[in-house]
Amino acid sequence: MSSPKRSDEPVWWALFSAGGVCFAVFLPGSILALGILWPLGLLNSSVLQYAQLLSLLQSGYGLTGLAFTGAVICLPLFHAAHRIHHGLHDLKCGYSSATKLLCYGLAAALSMLALYLTLHLILAD
Amino acid sequence: MTDYQLLIQRYDPEHDNEPRLQRFTVPGDHTTSVLDALLYVQQKRDVTLGLRWSCRMAICGSCGVMVNGIPKLGCKTFLRDYHSDITIEPLAHFAVEKDLIVDMTQFLAHLSAIKPYLINDYSGTALHKQTPTQLAKYQQFSNCINCGLCYSACPQFGLNPEFLGPAAITLAQRYNLDSRDNGKAARMPQLNGKNGAWGCTFVGFCSDVCPKQLDPAAAVNQAKVESAKDFIISMFKP
Ligand code: FES
Repeated sequence: MSSPKRSDEPVWWALFSAGGVCFAVFLPGSILALGILWPLGLLNSSVLQYAQLLSLLQSGYGLTGLAFTGAVICLPLFHAAHRIHHGLHDLKCGYSSATKLLCYGLAAALSMLALYLTLHLILAD
Repeated sequence: MTDYQLLIQRYDPEHDNEPRLQRFTVPGDHTTSVLDALLYVQQKRDVTLGLRWSCRMAICGSCGVMVNGIPKLGCKTFLRDYHSDITIEPLAHFAVEKDLIVDMTQFLAHLSAIKPYLINDYSGTALHKQTPTQLAKYQQFSNCINCGLCYSACPQFGLNPEFLGPAAITLAQRYNLDSRDNGKAARMPQLNGKNGAWGCTFVGFCSDVCPKQLDPAAAVNQAKVESAKDFIISMFKP
């Protein structure tokens, strides 16, 4: 067997792994707090005042906000993109470099948008 | 003695258009293995039944078959654990040569592709000593009997026969982790390819069916970490 070409999979696998950790560690808490307890009115609403949240996101020169978006949106997006891309292979359904570009491209585009909106918010005032 | 119902897949490519299941009634007690039952059929019912076996004690790795759709060693699987029809088919994902005999050529080619032997420039005759810690690093992965059950369990090998597969990648880890070996650089190119460690999506069924509890899925994931490290190092090399 001749030497095969090096795969670029380590990059996607690293993002997938990091996203998996975020999915397991940060997302459940965020969904519980922001998606369930808050809408049900079970959270002390003073904690979730706009001004207070904003100052939290802005702390550490805005790195807290960017890290939150990265952990709760960007990395999980790459995790999901990786799963969908390999799922297409398992389902024998259009697995190709085009679907790879589409999956990871979409994850990258949505991540940029999320980071842009976070930055916009942080720099708002 | 209890009567067991066996449905055995028969296929002779020289005469049959497609495989078919043939029913046999086999007497057995609590010590009768699937291999014993197959040998009973071959000796008492139909001498043309094709199957592979040798040691009868889960060492040679030649008696792998699908039992009710799960890859098993015939000699390590017992009729007493089944209560209705027992369907016995050749190992999945391999080409069938006859009845329960499959063609292992590709599997063996994958094993040899990762250079499964110590590579070093040691030429002396003195014993090469290892500490228990050095031994423990690879010992678990060295117990493979090359039965091929993990390839039948692996959906990725089923989809892509070019995938090196669980046993070959485990074997690569077994030598890469051995303190007497310096051949990692020669093995990494195979693991780094898309058909190497990266062909795995961590289904993990290989570890479930492994009759020697090697945990090939763990070895494959260790190989992914190694390949990722190799990827980063390669970026800093000219
Ligand atoms: S006959 Fe040797 S492993 Fe079953």
